[in-house]
Amino acid sequence: MLSAQERAQIAQVWDLIAGHEAQFGAELLLRLFTVYPSTKVYFPHLSACQDATQLLSHGQRMLAAVGAAVQHMDNLRAALSPLADLHALVLRVDPANFPLLIQCFHVVLASHLQDEFTVQMQAAWDKFLTGVAVVLTEKYR
Amino acid sequence: MGHFTEEDKATITSLWGKVNVEDAGGETLGRLLVVYPWTQRFFDSFGNLSSASAIMGNPKVKAHGKKVLTSLGGAIKHLDDLKGTFAQLSELHCDKLHVDPENFKLLGNVLVTVLAIHFGKEFTPEVQASWQKMVTAVASALSSRYH
Repeated sequence: MLSAQERAQIAQVWDLIAGHEAQFGAELLLRLFTVYPSTKVYFPHLSACQDATQLLSHGQRMLAAVGAAVQHMDNLRAALSPLADLHALVLRVDPANFPLLIQCFHVVLASHLQDEFTVQMQAAWDKFLTGVAVVLTEKYR
Repeated sequence: MGHFTEEDKATITSLWGKVNVEDAGGETLGRLLVVYPWTQRFFDSFGNLSSASAIMGNPKVKAHGKKVLTSLGGAIKHLDDLKGTFAQLSELHCDKLHVDPENFKLLGNVLVTVLAIHFGKEFTPEVQASWQKMVTAVASALSSRYH
């Protein structure tokens, strides 16, 4: 459960990302592939050529979904249901990979926001993204 | 565990040279205790950990954080033998401190975010990769003597 303060922190971070979804998303994917090469197996075409346009496009899509989750923090299950179905039936990304993506997300935020990335923001955002990951893998079995 | 290329070693060493161990130590341990509050279980004797600001300002947290990062920094000269370097500390963390090795991974990840905050754009994906390798290897070395 997210406290009111945590919700505010999450929204505050999102305000800093909003409008830059493609750029943040592309960097997120680039970090994921560079730091955790095994994750590339889930993105065969994307990770092979690492074409900037495709990374931006897929990055945009992923961050847009995160943005939707931010808008529906109080009901992630309903808001992310189609994506949960997608991950359970089609993508089937092993749940162990979500913490890797989350770590890269923190690093993207940290390297861009630097001192603006407060400890409270990091705590709230980690809790939030972990919750998103739980919802996305909930229908796996 | 973890094979470091010459490039990894150069990246790790040069970045570390620019880190203020005292500041980074306090920041890293503080963030660990705030972001993952259950890690506070090891620090009952540290006094006031009742809020994020209390934790970040706590002098015992800062001192201990500095101690931890100083130890980590010392290991950078021995990247090819982290297991040997951390053998005694591994036994200590198992036998005396009873720390779940999962905490080493958490601390390592928080350190990486603190470095990213400090270095900004300089903390490229490649630099992050070298450092994640580093913290993973340290975590592994610290848990190697558990029994």
